[in-house]
Amino acid sequence: MAVPHLPAMLLFSFLVSVVFGVLSKNTPRERLLYGAKVFVTFVGVALVLGWIMYPVP
Amino acid sequence: MANKVVQETFSRPAQPKLTTLVRLCVAAWMVPGLGHLLLGRRWRGLILFSAIVTMFLMGLAMQGEFFSTNSGSYLQTLGYFGELCVGLAMPAARFFGYAGGNPLFVSADFGTAYLVSAGMLNTLSILDTYDIAMGRKP
Repeated sequence: MAVPHLPAMLLFSFLVSVVFGVLSKNTPRERLLYGAKVFVTFVGVALVLGWIMYPVP
Repeated sequence: MANKVVQETFSRPAQPKLTTLVRLCVAAWMVPGLGHLLLGRRWRGLILFSAIVTMFLMGLAMQGEFFSTNSGSYLQTLGYFGELCVGLAMPAARFFGYAGGNPLFVSADFGTAYLVSAGMLNTLSILDTYDIAMGRKP
């Protein structure tokens, strides 16, 4: 199954965020907030790095 | 000070036996989330199982590579142990005919990253199981 880069990165970030959230915090609210924060960080850093590398040949 | 030490010593929950700990960690290694399930953390175990197994299955669907220890490359050997950390899923995939991936496939690099990451996440899950069993986490 060929998966384009962006959906593959989004799915990867989502699954890792879920596991980090479940393992790192103790209450459902904390888990949700931490998971969302990790997900946004993953995606944001990947997009910024992608744009930084864009002009590099 | 002495009273405090005595109080802390007696208020600490009983340590589980070594065999129990080993059994829990092996269960957590073989099936992601099983350690949490055995400790009564049903939802946590179910979420971990779903996330880690989904990641592994997506890695297989993207033709990720199964590393081996025969390559002579330290990085590939590390990758092999990383993938092995996901437990029974790797031998099960081989049993059901997965040949070890196709490195020339367009999504193969992502697939390999998914497979190794599934193993790494399961390692965190095993450590969490250990901490819960030792009473360090709720």
